[in-house]
Amino acid sequence: MFDKRYIENFDWWLFLAVMGLMIVGFINLNSASAATGFPFQYKQLQWYVIGLVFMFGFMCFDYHVLPSVSLYIWGLTVFLLVLVLFMGKSVGGSQRWLSLGVMRLQPSELAKLSTVIVLSSWFYKDEREQYRLRDLWLPLLITAVPALLIYKQPDLGTALLLVILFASIVYIAGIRWTSVVIVFASAAPLLPLGWKLLKPYQRRRIESFLNPETDPFGSGYHVIQSKIAVGSGQLTGTGYMHGSQAQLKFLPEVHTDFAFSVWSEEWGFLGDMVLLSLFTILLCRGIAIAQESKEPFGTYLAFGVTAMIFWQMLVNICMVIGLMPVVGVPLPLISYGGSSVLTTMMGIGLMLNVRARRFMFH
Amino acid sequence: MRISGIKTLLHVKKFGPDHQGHRQKLCGGAYAIIFLSMAVLVSRLSYLQLMNGKKFSELSQRNSVRIVPLQAPRGKILDRNGRLLAGVRPCFNICVVRKDVKNMESLLGKLLPLLNEPESTVRVRVRQMLNQPAYLPAVIKRGADWDEISRIEARLSELPGVVIDVTPGRKYPYGSIAPHLLGYLGELSQEDMDSGRFASAAPGDLVGKYGIEARYQAELAGRKGERTLEVDSRMMLKRVISERKPVPGDDIFLTIDLDLQMAAEQGLGDQVGAVVALDPSTGRILALASTPKFDLEAFARGISTKEWQIVNDPLYRPMVNKALQEAYAPGSTFKIVMAGAALQEKIVDEATTFFCNGSFKLGRRRFRCWNRRGHGKTNIYKALAESCDVYFYNIGLKLGVDRIARFARGFGLGERTGIDLPGEQRGLVPTREWKRKKKHEAWLKGDTLNISIGQGAVLVTPVQMASLVASVANGGTIYRPGYVERLVGPDGVTEKEFACKERGKLPVSLKNLSIVKKALKGVVQGRHGTARKCRIRGVEVAGKTGTAQVVKQTKRRQSERMKWQCRDHAWFVAYAPADNPLIAVAVLVEHGGHGGSVAAPIARQVMERWFQLMAPKPVIMPQRSASFRAAVASLAS
Repeated sequence: MFDKRYIENFDWWLFLAVMGLMIVGFINLNSASAATGFPFQYKQLQWYVIGLVFMFGFMCFDYHVLPSVSLYIWGLTVFLLVLVLFMGKSVGGSQRWLSLGVMRLQPSELAKLSTVIVLSSWFYKDEREQYRLRDLWLPLLITAVPALLIYKQPDLGTALLLVILFASIVYIAGIRWTSVVIVFASAAPLLPLGWKLLKPYQRRRIESFLNPETDPFGSGYHVIQSKIAVGSGQLTGTGYMHGSQAQLKFLPEVHTDFAFSVWSEEWGFLGDMVLLSLFTILLCRGIAIAQESKEPFGTYLAFGVTAMIFWQMLVNICMVIGLMPVVGVPLPLISYGGSSVLTTMMGIGLMLNVRARRFMFH
Repeated sequence: MRISGIKTLLHVKKFGPDHQGHRQKLCGGAYAIIFLSMAVLVSRLSYLQLMNGKKFSELSQRNSVRIVPLQAPRGKILDRNGRLLAGVRPCFNICVVRKDVKNMESLLGKLLPLLNEPESTVRVRVRQMLNQPAYLPAVIKRGADWDEISRIEARLSELPGVVIDVTPGRKYPYGSIAPHLLGYLGELSQEDMDSGRFASAAPGDLVGKYGIEARYQAELAGRKGERTLEVDSRMMLKRVISERKPVPGDDIFLTIDLDLQMAAEQGLGDQVGAVVALDPSTGRILALASTPKFDLEAFARGISTKEWQIVNDPLYRPMVNKALQEAYAPGSTFKIVMAGAALQEKIVDEATTFFCNGSFKLGRRRFRCWNRRGHGKTNIYKALAESCDVYFYNIGLKLGVDRIARFARGFGLGERTGIDLPGEQRGLVPTREWKRKKKHEAWLKGDTLNISIGQGAVLVTPVQMASLVASVANGGTIYRPGYVERLVGPDGVTEKEFACKERGKLPVSLKNLSIVKKALKGVVQGRHGTARKCRIRGVEVAGKTGTAQVVKQTKRRQSERMKWQCRDHAWFVAYAPADNPLIAVAVLVEHGGHGGSVAAPIARQVMERWFQLMAPKPVIMPQRSASFRAAVASLAS
């Protein structure tokens, strides 16, 4: 019964880019782990393997079943996020983790993918040529509930990411340009209110981003040290396992948020170009899959997953090279973290799924 | 065929012709955003790495700020009178800074003869060291003694890379007291790190792994400090830029009394078992002992493989807190529940008697009483005092399993007492559903007879039994046993007081409870009581013995002639003074034999010690018993 067109339509470029990123991720974690003192790299290797299994799993069913179960996906996500608020493990002041016996789950990571799936389903079911603002209250609510729960943890970075994902999917679904103007015009006066909603440490991060030298040993410290790390890499890097910024602990969180700094310091500009090229291949294939799909749901899904990877990559790298304030967003497949790897790989699986089934409409 | 079938099933919609073209255009916009972003990143990276790379590289080399963590002194653990059970002392560690070692083998060759440590242990440590940053000192030997320190100190110049580091370590002024309660510290492991329970701990730090040390890790640990230093290129200190002082951990005052705890541990001696002593009016734990003990000092200095094997002995299980992490058949101590249930359900009253001729016939099976000659005509007082099995077979059959299970739960069995220590067992109150699910068999009347005398599938922990007898003693309130009296912050001001919460009320009226209590007094004070060995001069004691069979015995044999693992468990639960209880005790001796002859004397020692402690000195003298009784009464009011 197996149709061999599924194999013919397997996206090898996308797959190779993913494998390349995993290799870079492992090599880099090997060095970062030496700096932290715990062998994170082998755990990450396990997650890569599990992630690949999930990726193939997410290719095997017809993705058109997703709209009919999207309500349950959304409900489960919200349930997990509520659960984490009440009985989650607290790490560094915020409750993000849910203990599942042998492993820990970070529901806010899963929320990224489930938001993409649920929004795609909604726009697919309620398809129009262009949407007006008043058509969008339901998808906005779909996004706002998990986003607010994540904001409560507090994890501002991920909460904002969900909002950006919403905007991305609205973009591909089509919105009237007058609506965009209205949103921006009405959002501008609300900015001071947003500043009030931020926690003091979040405000300090933004202030120190705008002017890091005012407080070099305080909250600006990490950004300054990260910039020094990236810059001192120069063209070819300081040598593998020889980045003094990372190995001598000037950098914080070298295995998660600041993994890119370690890579930049030790492999230099050339290493960065390799990493960015791999991401570019992955993202372009994602958009191409969205373009080639013959029906809207595949387009939304592939576009949403691509946006999910793109925005996380952009925010993370901008943060460590001093173009953005510090928010905790991982670099997909490079930062250590089981939930993040799984979410990304499930998303990749969905993209491959859309691509493999495009012939269904010939 | 198949594909189109799925399509109609899932209502797959294709793009309309206009939509498709529009979205193609939007995807083109997405490409533009991606390439634009990449261009921004590449130009920023070339600005940092290519144009200003030299400058940042110099900055990195001149980066001379080091942040050194300052360990916070761990909080102390004290008994209810403020006596130090676990304190802090400086602990000297011999460390190696990997960065400064030229040749590890030649260093080890010189270092090993100076250490009192087997080579294999040191090698394991060296291998673990490879996971740590090269510039941080990694511990080779924790808690080195003065001999080692002085030997190494003298040759420090020949040992490049070796440093002697001082960290706060545990000391135990009274030796290994209540090790199962206090618990021990260990080095942070990868699993601990992953669990996220130790937010501020770093590799090599000591964290609580067991008992109170683990449960109150956050409170005891305090907050680490930080010293920001400026160093030169040879890593020598130039100046201290800033310092944040560590905040010491809170001190924990326990409800445990050191003297009573010692009496309990001495009473158990080298037998395997547990003692739990409670204050019945508050639910506070006065002593909680489990044997064999393990040596806290050994854990403090780093336990050797051989010692680890001993404390994990599969037969005696020293690491298991037998007071709550192990459940046993309650034997005849369960008759307290049975008596309460039968009175409350009006199956018997004070006057009801059954005739015991030494056995009870159910169909063709014969259920024996422990006394083969029989107890003759037996009422409830005699039945409890002499532990007549036949009496309880009779009421058990009348009550039925459902009511027995309901009352057992009402007495706090079959569920955790909530003592707030990890690994507490639930025990088991068997029911019809339980047997159907577990064994796929129907409940038989014979099963009811077995549980009526605390045999069969019923399981309880010593702490449950202590809580049960304390609630009988205080007139029916079941408390959640607590062991912390208060936490005191580093400034010496009380931060938090603890009181034991109520878990519930016994499902027995005060009138019926007083009948049970009168009967329990007869167990110790009566002429034929089974716990005459627990009599204390000047104080009336109430209690109940229990002897729980471990293996089915077809023939009656002397316990001394059986293998240790096959002997009966000895139980004794008691409270005193009988009319105005100040202490409740549960004693279990694994494979000890008879409750009355083995467990009761231990309970007596504990209770005697308690009255000595509470009495005005000089202590109990026979001729002063009247005045002593008055003193005890005034203390209780």
